[in-house]
Amino acid sequence: MSKEPGKTLLKMKVNGKAVEVMVNPTWTLLRVLREELRLTGTKKGCEQGDCGVCTVIMDGRTVNACLVLALQTESKEIETIEGLGTADQLHPLQKSFIKHGAVQCGFCTPGMLLSAKALLEKNADPTLEEIKRGISGNLCRCTGFVKIIKAIQNVHR
Amino acid sequence: MKKRGIGIGCMYYGMGYGFSRPDVSAAEVEICEDGSIIVRSGEVDYGQGSDTIFCQMVAEELGIRYDTIQLITADTFATPNAGPTSASRLTYVTGNAMVKASRAIKKTLQSVAEEILGERDLLFLDEEIFSESHPERRISFRQLAKEGHLRGLPMVETAWHDITTKDVNPETGQGDAYSTYAYAAQLAEVAVDTETGEVEVLRIVAAADVGKAINPSNVEGQIEGGVAMGLGYALTEEIKEEGGYLKTRNLGEYMIPTSMDVPPIDPHIVEVPVSSGPYGAKGVGEPALIPTAPAILNAIANAIGVRVTELPANLENLHRLIREKERD
Ligand code: FES
Ligand code: FES
Repeated sequence: MSKEPGKTLLKMKVNGKAVEVMVNPTWTLLRVLREELRLTGTKKGCEQGDCGVCTVIMDGRTVNACLVLALQTESKEIETIEGLGTADQLHPLQKSFIKHGAVQCGFCTPGMLLSAKALLEKNADPTLEEIKRGISGNLCRCTGFVKIIKAIQNVHR
Repeated sequence: MKKRGIGIGCMYYGMGYGFSRPDVSAAEVEICEDGSIIVRSGEVDYGQGSDTIFCQMVAEELGIRYDTIQLITADTFATPNAGPTSASRLTYVTGNAMVKASRAIKKTLQSVAEEILGERDLLFLDEEIFSESHPERRISFRQLAKEGHLRGLPMVETAWHDITTKDVNPETGQGDAYSTYAYAAQLAEVAVDTETGEVEVLRIVAAADVGKAINPSNVEGQIEGGVAMGLGYALTEEIKEEGGYLKTRNLGEYMIPTSMDVPPIDPHIVEVPVSSGPYGAKGVGEPALIPTAPAILNAIANAIGVRVTELPANLENLHRLIREKERD
């Protein structure tokens, strides 16, 4: 990769693949994912850590990609919605969201799915309260959360 | 001390724009040679599910599979105007245009099928067209589409639906205001902390008369989302402004409900068909939200005898009202 003034080489893993990208130190992970890697499934909402639509998983934990500086992800593993499933091979959570009608406008959905995934990886059988807490950083203006919670509760049923 | 109360809110809502304001929608249905369908309309689905129900409607009319339909929407280069997604009007107005266009093209297909099958009592079902009395006389939808094209018949139809009303007499307020009305009622159960003014909504029961639920799961989703929005409107959401400058600038200050705030919601779909709606349907967008705040405020009054007349009924405001009442 050619040297670009003011930029630094960032090496990380995104959805299992090694990625090298020249980044400006002021860029956020969100900017790198969307603008440099063209992974636009991660949404850009408030850019202040309030809405959760930019949620991705970093080394097993959910983060708001708008609050993480790109260079903080050096050598880390990032999981975005693009790594969750494909159109022919949906992740069980994606299937459950469709089955339960948990998607309306869909803007919160990628972040919601990743929060749910991180939750279920730590806690395979969460209570209602634990699910509510697990997605409390992901705002949804459309659904009232009812069907989203149902979809998470019934993912393996 | 925590005190509990229940309250009811109800509403009626005029569908569409009313009062002689133009309220029209267009839809175009085209049948391709391979029997697949292209539907074009300027309607915008921003999450309420209109794309889904319009495909359902076209599929229902033509007896075809929902997934053979390609829907092109909201593109002035390609789609006829359907008017805005507002006033809870799309199901009711654009839905009618979808049904009309489908029926017009079905008529053409029916005449071709009559000619080929030699029968008039034809049913369009499961991708086939067959005679009710002689069910062995049948033709696939795909083949029929091809026959229509081979005959050079119009395989595209555009329909226009207009619900513009005449208006009311400005003196008396009487006359033709809206094409039809939706009705909804909700019941809220709350617990109010008399020390802090904190309101916990324990449960909302929400009934909406949608005429006919084209997609019941979608309607429930609309009701649940509406209730959550109504809850925020009642208790936390507030735009503050000072000297013309917004002081509420982000979602940390404008507090919308999170998953932790939304109580159990019990949605009830009421179906009283309206003759002017497609399959009797009317809209549910705003009706789902309107009764929530009044139901919650009535429940607060029922719990602690304090009438909230200014929204939101947040900690600050309710705490003040409770103290004022104690002083009286
Ligand atoms: S865009 Fe990151 S939290 Fe809103
Ligand atoms: S589905 Fe629209 S914000 Fe969640």
